[in-house]
Amino acid sequence: MESKLKVSAPQFLHCPLCGFEFEKQETPCQHGCPLGRFCKLVCCPNCRYEFPEKTQGLNVLQRLFHRGRKPAPDRTLLGLHELEEGEHSELVCLNSSRASRRNALAVYGLTPGSRLILQQKRPTFVVRVGETELALEIEIAREILVRRV
Amino acid sequence: MPMPCHENNAVSTAGRKTATTQPMLVLVGNPNVGKSVLFNKLTGKFVIISNYPGTTVEIARGGTFIDDKEFTVLDTPGVNEFAPRTEDARVTCDVLRDYPEATVVQVADAKNLRRALLLTLQLAELRRPMVLVLNLMDELDKCGGRIDVRKLSEILGVPVVPTIAIAGTGVHLLQQAIGRARIPSLPSDAPGSRPCPTEIEAQLARANAILAQVYTITQPRHASFAQKLGWWATHPIKGLALAALVLYFTFWFVGLLGAGTAVGFFEKVVFGRYINPWAIQVVDIVLPFPHTHDTQESHYNLEIPLSPTYGISIWENTQIVSAPTYSLAPSATLGGWTQVRRLAHDFLVGEYGVITMALSYSLAIVLPIVTTFFLVFSVLEDSGYLSRLAVMLNRLFRGMGLNGKAVLPMVLGLGCDTMATMTTRILETRKERVITTLLLALAVPCSAQLGVLMAMMASISIRAVVFWIILMVLISFIIGWLAAKLYGGETSDFILELPPMRQPHLGNVVAKTFARLEWYLKEVIPLFVLGTMVLFILDKLRVLDKIARFGEPLVTGWLGLPRETASAFLIGFLRRDYGAVFLLDAATGPKHLLTPHQVLVAMVTLTLFMPCIATLFMISRELGKKTAFWITMFIFPFAFFVGGLVNHLGGLFGI
Ligand SMILES: Nc1nc2c(ncn2[C@@H]2O[C@H](COP(=O)(O)OP(=O)(O)OP(=O)(O)O)[C@@H](O)[C@H]2O)c(=O)[nH]1
Ligand SMILES: [Mg+2]
Ligand SMILES: [Zn+2]
Ligand SMILES: [Zn+2]
Repeated sequence: MESKLKVSAPQFLHCPLCGFEFEKQETPCQHGCPLGRFCKLVCCPNCRYEFPEKTQGLNVLQRLFHRGRKPAPDRTLLGLHELEEGEHSELVCLNSSRASRRNALAVYGLTPGSRLILQQKRPTFVVRVGETELALEIEIAREILVRRV
Repeated sequence: MPMPCHENNAVSTAGRKTATTQPMLVLVGNPNVGKSVLFNKLTGKFVIISNYPGTTVEIARGGTFIDDKEFTVLDTPGVNEFAPRTEDARVTCDVLRDYPEATVVQVADAKNLRRALLLTLQLAELRRPMVLVLNLMDELDKCGGRIDVRKLSEILGVPVVPTIAIAGTGVHLLQQAIGRARIPSLPSDAPGSRPCPTEIEAQLARANAILAQVYTITQPRHASFAQKLGWWATHPIKGLALAALVLYFTFWFVGLLGAGTAVGFFEKVVFGRYINPWAIQVVDIVLPFPHTHDTQESHYNLEIPLSPTYGISIWENTQIVSAPTYSLAPSATLGGWTQVRRLAHDFLVGEYGVITMALSYSLAIVLPIVTTFFLVFSVLEDSGYLSRLAVMLNRLFRGMGLNGKAVLPMVLGLGCDTMATMTTRILETRKERVITTLLLALAVPCSAQLGVLMAMMASISIRAVVFWIILMVLISFIIGWLAAKLYGGETSDFILELPPMRQPHLGNVVAKTFARLEWYLKEVIPLFVLGTMVLFILDKLRVLDKIARFGEPLVTGWLGLPRETASAFLIGFLRRDYGAVFLLDAATGPKHLLTPHQVLVAMVTLTLFMPCIATLFMISRELGKKTAFWITMFIFPFAFFVGGLVNHLGGLFGI
């Protein structure tokens, strides 16, 4: 289970220059940008090309253009926070290192196999499991790995 | 399942002695499933029932007769699992441990059978006779679910009783079933189950297996209006609009109708025209000495308020009434006994009299404000809105080392800080409990205090009121933030179950309001009478003067107030609003001791005082003497500190 998680965990970046695919955390390049860790540029570990990571604004724009199209139900593993409001999904596993958090979710019926409906994302996530409506923060939503249905 | 319950708990050990004599029923189950409603139907005893998880935080006990046998019934706080995370869940665990011979009545939400079964499986390991109650059957019907009750009973090996507790349906069936309570006889493992990593997951797999056999959902669900309202309430924009609407309505009902119209009626008509003059008359007959009371013109205008400045007048009239102030007959020389009579007369109906001041204050002002507030609050509680408010405010509370769950005790604090302090039990970490308690004690006045403080400041200037509100909010955030930093440690996860939006029951709203009023008045009236007495005695013994001189550096030097106001702060230790009443007397009374700036300084200082002495006792009971001590040691100096700042810097804001 664990290894599968790693592979499918999102945050993959694509270098526009050489086409190399890498994880964001792997960026080894350090440069003297005054913005420090707030700098939005990432650096390709293969060719050392620096390019901007997709920003929030870009995301919104893209979503605007793609609005009419429904995303095809794909089978990749996603964090709950990556779903859109109103999407249905099936819980695959709770990727939390803390047993107490897993338990806290389990008692509300959030266990592998259960069907979730993401009702809202802001200001706080609200998911529906059966007849239970549960509010939770994004930090927890990230650890709930689901698959669209 | 291990029962990691801790040994010490004052609540459950209190009644342990009576345990052996009578057969006992313990109501347990998930939060917000109707345990307390069922308890009320079984025993006839009143307990607070609200539509959010975590209403009951303490055990309630009552008696019921089943087949001419008397049973003790215990209502417990709701739990989701028998590994206590919070203080209220611990109470439930302790009950199960302390009464090993009790019959367990598990109350389940029929719509959420899976979660209930999880508890059933954990309870089964205790090997106690039990009965399973499927409550909220009406809501199960509405959402199109069906449960095969007989099959479920067969699988679990215990009686299963469907009920609609709120309507009383099925309660007698439950009573009949008590005799048939059995130890659950579960098949050791559900067929086809695979080994699971954790115990709880194993139990859930078994619960699923059972669910598959007994639960069917027939019709597709359409979102009802209540459900949509619930969604709006947590929507980032619609939610804000709804919150504004709720706030305005609360303000209209409590602030204008309660604190304006109703207080005016009680103060001016009921007390001003009837009770006070009547009491003066009676006292004058019983305790005669040569004097004549002043008279005053009492003008009254009954109106329905539409905005703070405009209302529809219904009834208006003017009448001459006698006042507590009097003048002695010019030639009179008062002998020994006459002096005593005069003293007693003043104590009862004088300017600081128990009747003319203490009672008319605590009843005429407090009663209408608190009643209207509790009414609105009960409606909000029963609707399920409060938990949704917690969702909206979670971010904000994160900044103070808390999370959205702390919204509930904070809002409850507007009703009564003492009750709210107890409700902090629903918070998961001690850090959160301490910070919430501190903020409650520091900056959340209960509705009566809020009403009094605002009314008094409004009589000075509206700008001062606005400044005061902003200051209090700012202080809450800064102190909360600092406390979180100092306390360190992590804030618990925000995982909050949202109860379904429900239509409030008028009966429950009224019953709850009455119960809370009773609680409140029992706490408030003796305190105020005590405060008045202390002040009266100090005044007559001329000790007030000494105290005033003692407090001079602080009161006059730092706060810039006349030394006579020291007594107001003294009485403010009992309840902050009483201090305010005495201050106002100084401000608007005949002597005009205070300037508007001074009133603001004094009010800010008093607002930051401990809400009332009863709250202090509750803090020490809930969090221990040491924490209570430190909270007190922080609050009072801090109050004077901020008051002084306002005094010295207030000029900068033009207040
Ligand atoms: N429609 C319906 N509502 C019910 C029924 N039983 C209880 N309720 C409502 O459910 C809510 C919760 O009831 P409580 O008795 O306070 O629940 P509890 O189990 O004691 O909750 P905690 O003390 O928080 O654990 C209240 O708003 C009740 O009006 C029922 O049979 N039908
Ligand atoms: Mg209860
Ligand atoms: Zn850079
Ligand atoms: Zn008199």
